[in-house]
Amino acid sequence: MIGASISRWTMSYFATALAWLFVALALMVAGFGYPATHLASPDTLVLVHVVCIGWLSVAMCGALFQFVPVLVAKPLFSEKWALPALSLLTAGLAALLVGFLGLGGRLPAWLWLLPIGAVLLIAGFGLVVVDLGLTAWLRPVGPARFVLAGLASLCATAAFGAIFAFADAGWAGSIGQSVLTTGVPLHAIAGLGGWLTLTAMGVSYRLLSMFMLSPDVDERKSNMTLAAGALAIGVAVVGGVVAIWFVSGLNVVLSITAVLGLATTALYGRDVIGIFSGRKRRQLELNTRMAALSFASLAGTALVGVVLVLTGAFAAYLGAFAFLAIFGWLSGLVLAKLYKIVAFLTWLETYGPVMGRAPTPRVQDLVSEARASKWFVIYYAAVWFGTLMLMASQPSAFRAAVAMMTVGLIGIVREVIRTRRLADVASPVRLPDGACAPHLLFARN
Amino acid sequence: MTDYIDVDVRPILRAGGEPFSVIMAALDRLEPGQGVRLYATFKPIPLFAVMADRGFVHSAQALDAGEWEVLFTPATTKQTASPSGTAVFDDWPEPAVTLDNRDLDPPEPMVRILAAAEKLRPGETLSALLRREPVFLFPQLEKRGFRWLGGFSPDGATYELTVRAPS
Repeated sequence: MIGASISRWTMSYFATALAWLFVALALMVAGFGYPATHLASPDTLVLVHVVCIGWLSVAMCGALFQFVPVLVAKPLFSEKWALPALSLLTAGLAALLVGFLGLGGRLPAWLWLLPIGAVLLIAGFGLVVVDLGLTAWLRPVGPARFVLAGLASLCATAAFGAIFAFADAGWAGSIGQSVLTTGVPLHAIAGLGGWLTLTAMGVSYRLLSMFMLSPDVDERKSNMTLAAGALAIGVAVVGGVVAIWFVSGLNVVLSITAVLGLATTALYGRDVIGIFSGRKRRQLELNTRMAALSFASLAGTALVGVVLVLTGAFAAYLGAFAFLAIFGWLSGLVLAKLYKIVAFLTWLETYGPVMGRAPTPRVQDLVSEARASKWFVIYYAAVWFGTLMLMASQPSAFRAAVAMMTVGLIGIVREVIRTRRLADVASPVRLPDGACAPHLLFARN
Repeated sequence: MTDYIDVDVRPILRAGGEPFSVIMAALDRLEPGQGVRLYATFKPIPLFAVMADRGFVHSAQALDAGEWEVLFTPATTKQTASPSGTAVFDDWPEPAVTLDNRDLDPPEPMVRILAAAEKLRPGETLSALLRREPVFLFPQLEKRGFRWLGGFSPDGATYELTVRAPS
C-alpha cells in the first residue's frame, strides 16, 4: 500500500505517557526528589526517568509511529512491533525505577534490577529505532533526517544509560565506574538534546507548516540547523568518550557543545519565525498558539543558560534550567501537538470511511478550543512560575506550582478524552451510518 | 534549474508517423537531472502516464493552432500511483471535475476530493491540485476501488492528483 494509515497503537502510547506524567507530577507535589534532594540523588533519578522515558520518550515514540509513515508516504516497516516495544519500555522503566529506589535505600537493594531494566529498555527502544529507522530511511528528506539523527542520539543515550546501570550493579569494571563518575552530562545531553529535542524540531517543521498553510522550510536552512544540532550531539558523545578515556575532564567538550547547542536553537528559531511569517492562515489554531509558548520556553531556556554560564552560576541553577527545558519546551510542545493529533486521528478513524457518502463533522467540531485553552494557559503559567521558584529556592512554592501544572494537565487530558469519545460533536453528524465510535486506547485500522 | 532537451515531433505527426520511438530514444540520451521539452500537434495525454512511470512530472502548455508544448521534468520526489500497474492509465479520459484545493486548511482537501470522487460516474476522472501529498487519502481511495496517479509539479509547490472512479 502507498500512503499512510492510522497507527493502531499511537493512542496506547499517548495514554501510557500521560499516566507516567501524572506519576512524575504527583512525586514532585509530594516533595520527592529535587529540589528536596540533590540532583544526582536516587530519588531525582527516579523522577527524571519517569519524565524522560515514561512521559516524553513514550509519547514521542507513539507520535513517530504515526508521523514517520506520513513523512515518507510509506507504511511503517512493521506495525506489529509497536505494542511489544511499549510493553518492553514499560517493564524496563519499572525495573529501572525499582532499582533506583533500592539504590536510595527506599526498597531492598536489588541492584541487579538496574541492568535488567536497561536491557529491557534497550530491547524496547531497539524495536522502535529499527522500525522507525527502516521506515524513515526510505525517503530521508527534511524532517525525516531530524528523526534519524534523533534515533541515533537515542542509541547513544541508551548505551550510556546501560553502562551506568551495569556499573551501579557492580558489573561494569573500572571502565564502567569511570564512565558512571563523569559521563552523566553526556547521557543527559544525548537524551534531552539529541533524541527529544532534535526529533521534536523535525516533527514541528512539518506540523507547523501543515497547520499554518506555510511553505516547507527551505531544505538548505533546515539542513544547517540539523547539522549544527547533530554536531553538538556528536561532539558531546564522541568528544566526551575520548575525554573520559584520557581522564581529561569534560569542560572543553561541554563548552563546545553549549556553543553549538545555542547556535542550533538560534537557527531553529530563525526557521520557526520563517514558517510563522510565511503562513497563509491568519487565524491560528490552539495547538499552534500553545506550541508558540513552548518555543518561547525554549528561547527562555537558552537565555537562562547563557546568563547562568556567564555569571558562573550554571551548576547551582542546573535544576531550574532542566525543568524549563523539560516542562516548558519539550512537554509543552508534546501536549500542544498531542491535543491536535488525537483530534485529527479520531476524526480520520471515525469519519474517513464514510466521507463523501454522508455528512461528517469537521476536525474542529471534535474539540472545544475555548475550553481547552485555559488549561494550557494554567499549565504554562505554572511551569514558568515553578522555574522561578526553583531559582528562588522556594521548595514549597515550587510544589504549589507543580500542583497547578497537574490541574492544567487534568483539564487538558479531560479535553483529549472528550475528543476521543466524540463528546463535543452534535448528534445528527456524530455517528452517521457506517461510522463506528473509536476506542479510547487504540485505533481500529 | 532543470536543463531540457528539445524534442519536436510535430513534423512526424503531420506526416502521419509514430513519434513514440523518437521520444523514447531522446529519453535514453538524457543526462541525470535533464528533462524533455516536447512539441506535439495534440495534448499527448497517454504519454503523461508513461513518463510518470519513468519518474517525470509534466506541465503542458497550449500553443497556437492546437499545438502543445510539454515540459517533462525529472521528479524530485518519485511519482506515485495506485498499485494496480501503469498500463491501465493510457485510456484515462479528461477530468470531469477539476478541484483547486491548494489554499484549504487540512484536512479539507481530502474531504472535498472524496466527496467529488463519490459523485463521479464509472470510469470518470477528477483532477485536484494540492499543496501536499495526500497520504491519508490514498488508503481511502484504495478501499473504495478508485485508482489514482499523482506527483509534484517541477517547482515542488503543487501536487497534481488524478483520481479515476471504478468502471
